[in-house]
Amino acid sequence: MKKSFVFSGSGGQGIMSAGIMLAHTAIDMSKHSTFLPEYGPEQRGGSAKCTVIISDDEIISPLTKKCDTLVAMNEQAYAKFAESVKEGGLLVLNSSRVKSGLDRTDVRVLAVPVDDVALELGSVKVANTVIIGALIGSTGIVSKEVFIKSLEDKFKTKKPEVLELNLKALEKGIAYGESHKK
Amino acid sequence: MEKRFMKGCEAIAEAAVRGGCRFFAGYPITPQNEIPEYLSWRLPEVGGAFVQGESEVASINMVYGASASGKRAMTSSSGPGISLKAEGISYLASAQLPAVIVNVSRGGPGLGSIQPAQSDYLQATKALGHGGFRAMVFAPATLQEAVDVMYDAWEYAERDRGPVLVLMDGCLGAIMEEVTLPPMKEVNFNNTKDWCLARVDGREESHMITPILPEPALEMLNKFKGMTYKGWEMNDVKVEEYLIDDAEYVVVAYGIAARVAKEAVNTLRAEGIKIGMIRPITLYPFPKMSLDGLDYDKVKGIIDIEMTIPTQMRDDIELQVKGRCPVYEYGRSGGMLLDDEGVLSAIKEFIKEGE
Amino acid sequence: MPDYKRPKSLMPMATSYCPGCMHALATRLVADVIGELDQVNNAINVVSVGCSALNLYTWAGDVIGSAHGRAPAVATGLKRCLPDRLVFTYQGDGDLAAIGLAEIMSAANRGENFTVIFANNQTYGMTGGQMAPTTLIGQKTTTTIYGRDPETTGYPLQMCELISVLKAPVFVARYALNSPKGVADAKKGIRKAFELQMAGKGFTFIELLTNCPTNWGMTPLQTLEYMNTNTIPYFKPGIYKDKEGEA
Repeated sequence: MKKSFVFSGSGGQGIMSAGIMLAHTAIDMSKHSTFLPEYGPEQRGGSAKCTVIISDDEIISPLTKKCDTLVAMNEQAYAKFAESVKEGGLLVLNSSRVKSGLDRTDVRVLAVPVDDVALELGSVKVANTVIIGALIGSTGIVSKEVFIKSLEDKFKTKKPEVLELNLKALEKGIAYGESHKK
Repeated sequence: MEKRFMKGCEAIAEAAVRGGCRFFAGYPITPQNEIPEYLSWRLPEVGGAFVQGESEVASINMVYGASASGKRAMTSSSGPGISLKAEGISYLASAQLPAVIVNVSRGGPGLGSIQPAQSDYLQATKALGHGGFRAMVFAPATLQEAVDVMYDAWEYAERDRGPVLVLMDGCLGAIMEEVTLPPMKEVNFNNTKDWCLARVDGREESHMITPILPEPALEMLNKFKGMTYKGWEMNDVKVEEYLIDDAEYVVVAYGIAARVAKEAVNTLRAEGIKIGMIRPITLYPFPKMSLDGLDYDKVKGIIDIEMTIPTQMRDDIELQVKGRCPVYEYGRSGGMLLDDEGVLSAIKEFIKEGE
Repeated sequence: MPDYKRPKSLMPMATSYCPGCMHALATRLVADVIGELDQVNNAINVVSVGCSALNLYTWAGDVIGSAHGRAPAVATGLKRCLPDRLVFTYQGDGDLAAIGLAEIMSAANRGENFTVIFANNQTYGMTGGQMAPTTLIGQKTTTTIYGRDPETTGYPLQMCELISVLKAPVFVARYALNSPKGVADAKKGIRKAFELQMAGKGFTFIELLTNCPTNWGMTPLQTLEYMNTNTIPYFKPGIYKDKEGEA
C-alpha cells in the first residue's frame, strides 16, 4: 500500500498542520511517511501546499506528479491543482469556499464545508482536524484511535478545552467522510 | 537508537550538535532558517555558542575564528549566501581550518527563487572560492543520510583540516521523515590540539594561523593539498550503484533528483527495461570509477537527471564516459520540481532515441 | 621602573615596517602592556589586512590572520569559544573603516568582549597610498591626485565618534602617537582596555593616530608636525566613552 495526499490552500488554513498530523499518525501506526511542504514567499496568506506519502514500504521519492487524494481549501488552490489528482482518486473540497469541481465524475468528490463546521464549533483553528476526520471517515487511511491518542498527548494536560474542541471537530469530519463512503 | 519524525533542517542541526558542533554563525536566508533557529537555543544547552551574524560574510569569518579555537564550528546558507561566503571558505582552506558549511540550495542564478533546486553543483565542486582549492562535497538524498553525513562531517574536516560542504536541496531541508539520531559524540581536542589556538593540555608554545604564506611555502601547501585531493579520490568516494550490472541505460543523479529517478528506474525495470542508476553521495570526490568502469559494450546511454537546467554534473560525467555512448540530460529548474511522470517520460524518450 | 627590554610578545627581529612608521610603535605599546599584564601566553592577536598584516611575522604569541575587514568577526568567533583568552584585533583604517565597517560596527554593537586596536594613518599603505575613508579633505593620494574632494568622496570617517554613540561599548578612546605624552597616554588607554576585557566588561576600542611617511611623501619628522596641524584638529584625541568611569 502506498498513498499520496496533496493538501492545498492558502497560509493560515491549516494545510501544513493537517499534513503533518496525518503523516505523524501514520508513523505512529508503524507505517512509513514523508511530508514535503511548499511555501510561497509570503509569511501570511500566500499559497501553501504539502505532499504526504504514506506507505507500508520504505518511501523512495517524496515527490509525485499525481496524487491519490487532493484536498483543496480554496478556489485558487483548486484551480492550480485540479488536474493533479489521479483518475478515480479522491477530491476533498472545502465547500465553504470551493464551488468548482463539485460535479466532477472522473474522481470521487467529497464536499466538506470545513470553514462552516469549524466556525460552528467555535474556532477556525480546528479546520485541520475536520479535514483529517473527513479523510479517516472516507478512506480509513489512518486509525481514528491512534489519531485521538496523538491529540491527547498534545493537549490533554495543558489545554483540555482544546482537546475537547478537536475531538468534536474530528467526529464532524468523520461523519462527512463516512456519508461519502456509502 | 531513537527514531524521530523530524523536519529536515532541524534533524541536520541536531545531528551537527551530536557530531560535536559547538559553534554556529549564520544569516537568515530561505530555505534554511530552521537550522539557525534550532541551533540558537540548542547550542547553549550543550555549552556551545550561537551568533546571528550581521552578514553572510561576517558569519563565515566568525566560523573561521571559532574553528581556530579547536572547537567544531559550522554555518549554513543557501546559494546567494554561499556566494557571499566564498571569501571566508577560501580563507578556511588557506589557513587549514576545519569547518562544515551547509548549502540548502534554491533556484538560481541571482536571488532566483526560494523553492528547491540543485543549481549550485558547479559552485560546490569547482570553485567554492578563489584560489583553486577543493572541499569534500556531500550530497545526501534522504534525511537519514543527511543526518549521518552531518554527524561525521567534522571527522573529514579535521582529518584534512579544511572546509567540508554538505549540499542539500530545499526539499531535504523542508521534508519531514523518520530518522534515527546517533548518540552524542564525546569530542575532545585530540584532532585539533596540534594546531589550534586553545592551550590544550597546558601547552605553552604559541601558534600562528595564517591565510597568507611566503611563496615557496604556499606552493608546498598547494602541492600537499593536491595530494590530499588525490587521496580523496582513492579512499573517500561514496556512491550508490543501483542495478547497473546488466544495465543498458544508466541514470546518474544525486540528492532529491536521485530519489525521483529511482522510482522511474523501478518502474522501467518492471517493464523489462535494463536500466540502473549511479548516485554520487560525494560530488567531490566524484565517483569516476563507477562511470569509467561501466561495460560500454552493453551501455547504450547515460542519462543525467538534475533539478537544474542546463544540468551541471554533465561535464564530470562526460569526462568519464569519454564518448563511449551518448549522454542525455533532463532537468527542471528555477524552483520547479522534478516529478515521477516527467522523469519517466524523459527517460523513455532517450531510450527511444538510443534504440 | 619601566622595562626597556624587548617585550616577550615580539620576535627578536626587525619589523618590516617602513622607517619612521608608527605601526612599529603601536605594536610595541600593545606588546608592552601584554607583558606588564602577564598575558603573553594568554593573548591572541587577530591580524587584519594591510600593513597591519606584517604583525603576522613579528608577533611571538598566538596570532591569527584574517580577511580584509573581518578581524572583528574572526575575533567574535574566537572569543566566544575561548572566553578566558585576551583577544584583540589590530586593524588599519582601510580595513576597519571601509571594507570592514559592517563587522566593526556590529561587533561593537553586540558588545563583544574583545579589544580593537585601530591604527589610523589616513591612507592605504600597503597598496600604495590610495584614498582611505579617513583621508583628510584636500589630502593628496594616488586616487585623489588633486586632493580629497568632499563633493565626490564625502568626509573623513570619525570612528571613535561613531562607535561611542552605541550603547554596548565600554571604553572608546583616541590617542595620537606623534608626541611623548600621546604615546604615554595611549599605553594607559590600551592597558585600561585590556583590563576591562579581562574583567569581562565588554567591547573596548582604541584608535591610534599614526603616520605614513612613505605615502604621505614626508620625512618621519615632517609627519609629526603634519599630524599636529592637520590630523589632530580633525581627529581629536580623547576619551569618547568610559562606561565604567561614568558609573
